[in-house]
Amino acid sequence: MKPAGSILLLTTLTGFAYGLLAWIGAYACLGLLSGATPLAVAGVVLGLFLASLGLGASVLHLGRKERAWRALSQWRSSWLSREGVGALLTYPIAILFAVALRMDGDGIPARVFGAVMVATSLATVFCTAMIYASLKPIRQWHNSHTAPDYLIYAVFSGALLFALLHTVLLGTPGATGLIVATTAAVALLAKRAYWRHVDAQTPLASLAAAIGLPQGAEVQPLDAPHFTENYVLREMGFAIARRHSAKLRRIALGLGFAAPFGLGLLASLAIAPLAATAGALVCTFVGLLTERWLFFAEATHVSALYYGRRI
Amino acid sequence: MTMLPKALPGAKRLGLVIDLDTCVGCHACAVSCKEWNSGGEAGPLPDYDRQGPKPDGVWFNRVHSYEADGQGCSRTVNLPRSCLHCDDALCVTVCPTGASYKRAEDGIVLIDPEICIGCKLCSWACPYGAREFDEEAGVMRKCTLCVDRIYDRNLPEAEREPACVAACPTRARHFGDLADPESRVSKLVASRGGKDLLEELGYRPTNKYLPPRTATIAAEPCKPAAGAAGGLGTALLKLVDRALSR
Repeated sequence: MKPAGSILLLTTLTGFAYGLLAWIGAYACLGLLSGATPLAVAGVVLGLFLASLGLGASVLHLGRKERAWRALSQWRSSWLSREGVGALLTYPIAILFAVALRMDGDGIPARVFGAVMVATSLATVFCTAMIYASLKPIRQWHNSHTAPDYLIYAVFSGALLFALLHTVLLGTPGATGLIVATTAAVALLAKRAYWRHVDAQTPLASLAAAIGLPQGAEVQPLDAPHFTENYVLREMGFAIARRHSAKLRRIALGLGFAAPFGLGLLASLAIAPLAATAGALVCTFVGLLTERWLFFAEATHVSALYYGRRI
Repeated sequence: MTMLPKALPGAKRLGLVIDLDTCVGCHACAVSCKEWNSGGEAGPLPDYDRQGPKPDGVWFNRVHSYEADGQGCSRTVNLPRSCLHCDDALCVTVCPTGASYKRAEDGIVLIDPEICIGCKLCSWACPYGAREFDEEAGVMRKCTLCVDRIYDRNLPEAEREPACVAACPTRARHFGDLADPESRVSKLVASRGGKDLLEELGYRPTNKYLPPRTATIAAEPCKPAAGAAGGLGTALLKLVDRALSR
């Protein structure tokens, strides 16, 4: 599948954003934010800003950008529509949460809105993941790893932003350094498990089945319908050399997960916590973009079978 | 409305039956489709870089040719590929806007170009690669089963069939109601063992493909002419063969 920059930005930035909002909501809900209202408000502002950037990037992907609002209508069947509804719902809830926190501290209203914010943030990430997980022709997406993985990466990257805000505004990372290291380790294991899973998969169908011949018939392409690329080949026939993907997987693992794991540990030991968390954030952003690029580039689509591609 | 419609009692399931035995891969169906839909209600169908090195454009029908192995000798199988108007059309349910829909009355899957936002998700959901993006209009396009022809009362009744069917010089394409077991197309599917493409993916396509027939002309192995075996002539030929092979 062709990795489109707008979609890479959407899924990565909303992961950071909704992960951050979920952590702030959870902290508030547990009463861990008493006296740290500026931290929570800054988190809400940053989270909504990054989510808006991601959603804005996704609108750039559309052929008819001015009609983007129509995407909210089919929430009964479409995960893309549900993602839009979840994203829009999170705005007023996050704002109500911040207002409640400012007006009467971490009382019941702030805690309730915090809990709802956790739910809508994670639900939005889940909907994003289900857009991919529900696509039956793509074996690398249509599996039981995709949805939990997106949630794990969001919780991890959000923890990193939260750690940075915590360190900047409160002067100490507190428990967030350890949270970053733990979630980074979980994310690393999840990504490795995903790659093991997709590497062991067999193609969803054979060319014989694609043209209605009996299973086991040997079929090879003879003449393609057209000499140049068309939309189907550009969009669904994107292929990446295996040695490139191996290299990029190492980069994604190293920068996206291993580096923040180590730097998170440093921060938790109070060794240059600000530099460590800031460095971890930069590494993770680049690493997660690489990981997301691979998520698309390594995904194969059944329709490419008709052109004799490996799927 | 992107929920799939509930099957109405007695509703039609209009679709195509394509005979892979008689299709000669001439692309007449594809060209005729392009012609009709460039000018018809669905038009225009864009072309990009028409005279340049990389001509490209939107086609609703693409004809592939394959070499299939069977019983000791290979054969050519031509496969016209277009929308199969599936019963479980994932391209419809993933649509966030309701632009992609399946008609309850005849099962035709269509796109409303006035509502489509061009998110391309429907094309990802189709395992047959049947949807192509219109870069000029910014919306997705697909086969309409010539919905603007098959119901057109201004046309003589015999011409109320999709352009691809009308154009096929070998009559490899058949159009009809696959919900009616007594229809000509349903009988054809039953008698020839019509197949679903990619059946294991579970999209339950309406269009069916009739598999190539197995060869029925079995040639007798060549027998040596009577009296040719043995004798002086054979000995002489062997001698010549040996001399030449040296």
